[in-house]
Amino acid sequence: MKKKILAALLCVAMSATMLTGCGGGNNGGDANTDANQDAAGDEATGEDAAPEEAPAPEETEGEDAPAPEETEGEDAEGGDAAGGGSLTVWCWDPAFNIYAMEEAGKVYQADNPDFKLDVVETPWDDIQTKLTTAATSGDFSTLPDIFLMQDNAFQKNVISYPEAFLDLTDSGIDFSQFAEAKTAYSVVEGKNYGVPFDNGAAVACYRTDVLEEAGFSIDDFTDITWDEYIEKGKVVLEKTGKPLLSCQAGESDVIMMMMQSCGASLFDDNGDPAMVGNETLVKVMETYKALVEAGVLIEVNDWDQYVATLTNETVAGTINGCWIMASIQSAEDQSGKWGLTNMPSLVGVEGATNYSNNGGSSWCITSNCQNPDLAKDFLAKTFAGSVPFYETILPASAAIATYLPAGDSDVYAEPAEFYGGDAVFQKIVEFAGKTPSNNTGVYYYEARNYIATAMQNVINNGTSIEDEVKAAQEQVEFTMQE
Amino acid sequence: MTKTKRTRVLMYIVLTIVSLISVFPLYWMLMAATNKSVDVSRGKMLPGTAFLDNIKALFEQQDVQLAMLNSFKFSVILTLCALVICSLAGYGFEIYHDKKKDFVFSILLLGMMVPFVATMIPLFRMFTAVNLQNTTLGFILPTISTPFLIMMFRQNARAFPIDIIEAARIDGLNEVQIFFRMFVPTMRSTYAAAMTITFMNAWNSYLWPKVIMQGENSLTMPMLVANLTEGYVTDYGVLMLAVLLCSLPTIIIFFLLQKSFAEGITGAVK
Amino acid sequence: MLAVPWLKVKGDTDVSEANGPKKRKMSLEKRHNLTGWAFLTPATLMIAIMSFWPMIQAFILSLQVGKANKLSFGGLTNYLRMFKDKVFMTSLGNTFLYLIIQVPIMLVLALMLAQMLNNKDLRCKGLFRTAIFLPCATSLVSYAIIFRSLFGVDGFINSVLVNLGILDKGYNFLGNAFSAKVVIIIALVWRWTGYNMVFYLAGLQNIEYSVYEAAKIDGASPMQTFFKITVPLLKPTILMTAIMSTNGTLQLFDESVNLTKGGPGQTTLTMSHYIYDTVFKFVPTFGYASAMSFLIFIIVAVLAFVQMKVGDKRD
Repeated sequence: MKKKILAALLCVAMSATMLTGCGGGNNGGDANTDANQDAAGDEATGEDAAPEEAPAPEETEGEDAPAPEETEGEDAEGGDAAGGGSLTVWCWDPAFNIYAMEEAGKVYQADNPDFKLDVVETPWDDIQTKLTTAATSGDFSTLPDIFLMQDNAFQKNVISYPEAFLDLTDSGIDFSQFAEAKTAYSVVEGKNYGVPFDNGAAVACYRTDVLEEAGFSIDDFTDITWDEYIEKGKVVLEKTGKPLLSCQAGESDVIMMMMQSCGASLFDDNGDPAMVGNETLVKVMETYKALVEAGVLIEVNDWDQYVATLTNETVAGTINGCWIMASIQSAEDQSGKWGLTNMPSLVGVEGATNYSNNGGSSWCITSNCQNPDLAKDFLAKTFAGSVPFYETILPASAAIATYLPAGDSDVYAEPAEFYGGDAVFQKIVEFAGKTPSNNTGVYYYEARNYIATAMQNVINNGTSIEDEVKAAQEQVEFTMQE
Repeated sequence: MTKTKRTRVLMYIVLTIVSLISVFPLYWMLMAATNKSVDVSRGKMLPGTAFLDNIKALFEQQDVQLAMLNSFKFSVILTLCALVICSLAGYGFEIYHDKKKDFVFSILLLGMMVPFVATMIPLFRMFTAVNLQNTTLGFILPTISTPFLIMMFRQNARAFPIDIIEAARIDGLNEVQIFFRMFVPTMRSTYAAAMTITFMNAWNSYLWPKVIMQGENSLTMPMLVANLTEGYVTDYGVLMLAVLLCSLPTIIIFFLLQKSFAEGITGAVK
Repeated sequence: MLAVPWLKVKGDTDVSEANGPKKRKMSLEKRHNLTGWAFLTPATLMIAIMSFWPMIQAFILSLQVGKANKLSFGGLTNYLRMFKDKVFMTSLGNTFLYLIIQVPIMLVLALMLAQMLNNKDLRCKGLFRTAIFLPCATSLVSYAIIFRSLFGVDGFINSVLVNLGILDKGYNFLGNAFSAKVVIIIALVWRWTGYNMVFYLAGLQNIEYSVYEAAKIDGASPMQTFFKITVPLLKPTILMTAIMSTNGTLQLFDESVNLTKGGPGQTTLTMSHYIYDTVFKFVPTFGYASAMSFLIFIIVAVLAFVQMKVGDKRD
């Protein structure tokens, strides 16, 4: 009787063991350490060792996978870069950065026929999760060679996990060819860790037909101040019933854009919170409050509703990073009814401009990259060195470069039908060049979060801005404590 | 008689209302899947004409087949293994219960009470140390035995009449035979319910697979859906189509199994 | 490391095998006892490796302070720290509110629905059951989008209320602390009632139908049948769903993240959501996050212990 129980248990155990075998075969990039270790030393094997690409040849090797005694070769991706030239990349938007990366791969392949690029679609939140998990475990083997990082998270991640990234300062990439405000995001302690990619230059888009109905033109909204914006916004609201601006409640995008337009930050140069007594911040929050009270700005609850206010013609315009244009353009029936210009500037604040930034991203190379020279060369010759490359990706993806030489290209001067025949891309490149740089600080997300809370409390509960800012700073300081 | 009739009418009314409220999102998803993105965000709730376009776009953008296959493979393997291991345990805890086993059981329950965010990183470290990243085993092991499922079988085994076991023992069946020949068929309704729930959880699991599986070959349906929401522009029509595809298998499995767990084998037990 | 899981499973079998010969002369009772242990060992071992081992490591981590990987021993600092953390305290309060209000409503509703759907004479049972189960099978993404749009300022709920003359103009349900909490509770009930109903339906199969028929003949009202027959006989299942829901609600994450993003302000933030932020959104503080996780653990464990004491009695 006993034996039967044992038999049953053995069955379970065995089926579990068998699963390892089939897992190995089906997934390719698995525990077949032997194969990868060989590959690391052997160029010839390395070429087809890109795990995702060649599941079939590995199946046989996978058979002996159930006994992974050798813990040294944890590196499942190891075979990848060791070979003649293949890189794995994580990024997230097929219409945008994935497309751009694949095009870059083609450009590089033209000169290096052996080069192979493997782009894995990975949402940003997941990249962050995987990075944190891998870096904390001290095992970078699950990271790709290159990934795209949100500019806002750059400082935080590089300072938290310096060992996860490659220093690109002396990589041969000419960083002076990028807008300085943009490069600043990926510079930590004087070292470059990222190759700037897309532009988050702030643009103000307006429905020219609605403005006309209220007796305005796009020129009336160019180079203006927020005070003028509110005044004109009231007129538009009165005559057309449409607010000028919508934004997500509980998100601080608009606040942060206003801050950066004066070169102001929530932190001082030492990285300490500088919210209390920050006159720019008070002015920004007062302006925001005035916008809401005047009805010129309406708050919605989430991103989907925000996009809906644009496509549903609920509002007469928006202010955001230039990537918002893709969402605006999804309403094809509104073609020709939109105009684009710069954002309003703050009144009575030193260094106030009409230019700012929201979002954007940069490429970084991980320390798991087995062929750093290849990765560096690849980025240097494409994203940081090829005007024709940018000319290719612009029309299809509207990926507006921060690579300055590309801005002079004729492609950027093409008129855009959707925006009434305006050369919007050229404008945006020009805006980007004028944007004051922004000190995100390591604790950027914390500060953003609690400033958004402060703003919501001011709007919903009518509390005083000073008190709320103080509470926000206290919470950020609390979070910063060791 | 009239009173019973009135209760019955009332019951139908209540059930219909509850069902309608429950089904509404599915209806919404269906409608959204047939519309263009702009119309979806404009709140259109009637059938549109973009269904085929959405299908085309979805299959062009994403490897739906791969994701479906992967999700099926992982979920089926996980469900089967979990059912065997956990029902054995649940049976063991209840039928042979004594103070010690009850104690062990209450200790096991503690295993589900720490948020996964806290245990995920140690677990990841453990899995990479033995090279289980990117394997089916790596995907399924953490949830192959759950206190919840053990508890479900333990609680339901309480209704399993002990006389049957005694009778079977007298008939010369051994303990394993009793489990497989008496318990498993009798508890069909519990198994069916457990299967539905386990399959659903496996199918929808996201955070752990995302961390332990890398590379495009391990794409699952929830990952595919997440990919669609991440771009600067979301195509809601395509997204809802993907979500619909992602929800359907669980719904179908429920529909197929509900008869066996809700109209099981009443009377066969006692 | 020797924590190769499948090896452990095998190893376990070996151990029992080694014990084999000794058992020859055991009494029947003892033998059954050991069979019981053999049955539950694989599952128990798996849980020990997959849950308890990481938990121990997380606990060690919870005694360490510092950011990212720069950790140092801090004793109970993290545990003391959370009581000074206003945001965490808010999230604790929010989570408890959800627990106290949502769990009882949901379980009672699920029980009543299960009772109705267990009726033999009911037509279209399969359709009703599947319909009520649907919400929890619906992918989180669509569920969040749908709920947000339903309760939006010009959403479906508002247009109904305005048309009925209850409201003058659209009300921003998710923009107000109180109504946002109500929306979360409604969403939770909507999503998880069908899920719990499944367990009750399965549990009800173990009650003989003739019991109900006898009750009916005796003239018992549906209410009486419900409280006198269904509830007592389903007690083991009710206990299980109560523990599961308590556990699930105290670890609530999805709704807070996807429906309200914890807002407005931090008024709907849950503990798990805050812990997640401290690890993956903010500069990571694992020690602190682990400590907060262990507070959740302690709370759930105490509540589950009480529930087990009250409900887990064999008659």
